Amino acid sequence: MRSPHPGAGALRRVGAIFRRELRAYFTTPVAFIVVIFFLVVTSGWFFFAEQFFAQDVATLRGYFSLWPIIFILLLPALTMRSWAEERRQGTAEILLTLPARERELVAGKFTAALALLLLLAALTLPVPLLVAPMGAFEPAQIAMEYLGVLLLGCAGIAAGQFVSALSANQISAFLFSVAFMLVITLIGQIPSVAVLPGWLAAVLSWISFDFHFDSFSKGVLDTRDILYFLVLTAGFLMVTTKVLFVRRFR
Amino acid sequence: MIEAESLVKRYGPFEAVKGVSFRVERGQVIGLLGPNGAGKTSIMRVLTCFHFPTSGTARVNDHDVLAEPHLVRQSIGYLPEAAPSYDDMKVREYLGFIADVRGLEKARRAERIGLAVETCGLAEVYSRDIRRLSKGYRQRVGLAQAILHDPAVLILDEPTSGLDPNQIVEIRALIRDLGREKTVLLSTHIMQEVEALCRRVLIMNAGRLIAQGTPEEIARGMQEATVLIVSLKGPVDEAAGRSLAALPGVRSVSPMRRLQDRVEVDLEVAAGADPSEAVYDWAVARGCKILGMKTEKARLEELFARLTAGGRDA
Repeated sequence: MRSPHPGAGALRRVGAIFRRELRAYFTTPVAFIVVIFFLVVTSGWFFFAEQFFAQDVATLRGYFSLWPIIFILLLPALTMRSWAEERRQGTAEILLTLPARERELVAGKFTAALALLLLLAALTLPVPLLVAPMGAFEPAQIAMEYLGVLLLGCAGIAAGQFVSALSANQISAFLFSVAFMLVITLIGQIPSVAVLPGWLAAVLSWISFDFHFDSFSKGVLDTRDILYFLVLTAGFLMVTTKVLFVRRFR
Repeated sequence: MIEAESLVKRYGPFEAVKGVSFRVERGQVIGLLGPNGAGKTSIMRVLTCFHFPTSGTARVNDHDVLAEPHLVRQSIGYLPEAAPSYDDMKVREYLGFIADVRGLEKARRAERIGLAVETCGLAEVYSRDIRRLSKGYRQRVGLAQAILHDPAVLILDEPTSGLDPNQIVEIRALIRDLGREKTVLLSTHIMQEVEALCRRVLIMNAGRLIAQGTPEEIARGMQEATVLIVSLKGPVDEAAGRSLAALPGVRSVSPMRRLQDRVEVDLEVAAGADPSEAVYDWAVARGCKILGMKTEKARLEELFARLTAGGRDA
């Protein structure tokens, strides 16, 4: 019964998981709440708290600088259900006895969450489009900022789904993911509030999301930062796959 | 076809399955019977490759569960206990999803979904949210999902648990139909289910396979277990009671129960034998009065209780 094109089969399975996951986001109010919350908070922050107009500088750095902070709450809300809820509802037993490999399931769930993030990013496009005529914005810089938040988002989603795979329910998945995101996003700030040996300060900031996001928000394309997020994403997806596999032995 | 050999499944320090071997031939409905905690679900989880065995091997449709889990999962349909499904989907969407993951081609997909819906009587609820369905319908959705790809082997974990009597009758009829073409392994802790459905039974207790055979074979064993309950009045002591065991046709004697005005003793009687006359003579010789004798054909239920009596720790 081996399919003549195993690759095509895998793609179809990933696609099926992807579609199911994506539609599951919209059958609960979670996705809507998350999207609206995000749009309101980031725009409110940018135009009112950050006083974009009063500052009179043609940059969206202030706008994008808030994204990683919002992601600390937003990404865990998107990923908390992914595996924990399958386990709680017993559907994991269906999913894991279908002829799909663990990596296909992981890929399907990851891409679905990523698609939602892309949708979210697309919904923020009116912001740059709105302000663009007002000053000499650099489209390249804005593109880099988008790339940065999306890469950061990938790593956060992969981490959140990994935590969800380890959690017994979505609440603990959410809390642990938030804790993780909080630490990894802000750990680079510790040296600025505490006196640390130079090497430790360097390590801490190198670990943090913020540090690597910084070059994107400046509009600089640094391969090391792209690699940082990609490696982190791939790493979390791989360990999630491993967790699913190893759990079959318990 | 299903083969299990010296299957062991351990969860941490707890050994759920303690070395079980059996064979199920093609095209039979087989019951896996045992009290809760006997290890039935663990065996099914190994056969469906949800879990890997701790040791031992199992083969389903000639694929080893450890070496080719992917192919095993392709060739089986599985209804897990309590029939979990994606509540937020409609029946139509859910079956479509399963068909897609199972890689059914377009024409075959529509045909198989149509057939599964018809077989499981889901036409009425086809466009309803699974969340809003009754337990009976959810169970049928679980079955439809399991037969969607026309698998040679069906593994059904407690397919009728939690259903009302009418629903049980319906689901059993459905399983009986499916069993005409497929190998069906179903688990249950209800004896009648086995009597109603299964060509062969595997009886499990505390992680071990303790008996197997056709219901008739087990029923024969049941007749061997006929019990003659004798009520006596008069001078009998334990030694006299034990002498009952020497009577022809009596296989064993229970300790005596001393009631207010009488003594009762159970004689286990060999198949086809009737020692009641000999018991009467025995009583007369000792100057006892027989107040009553009654034969109890141990039902399969009691045999089951007896077979599993040692396993209360399970």
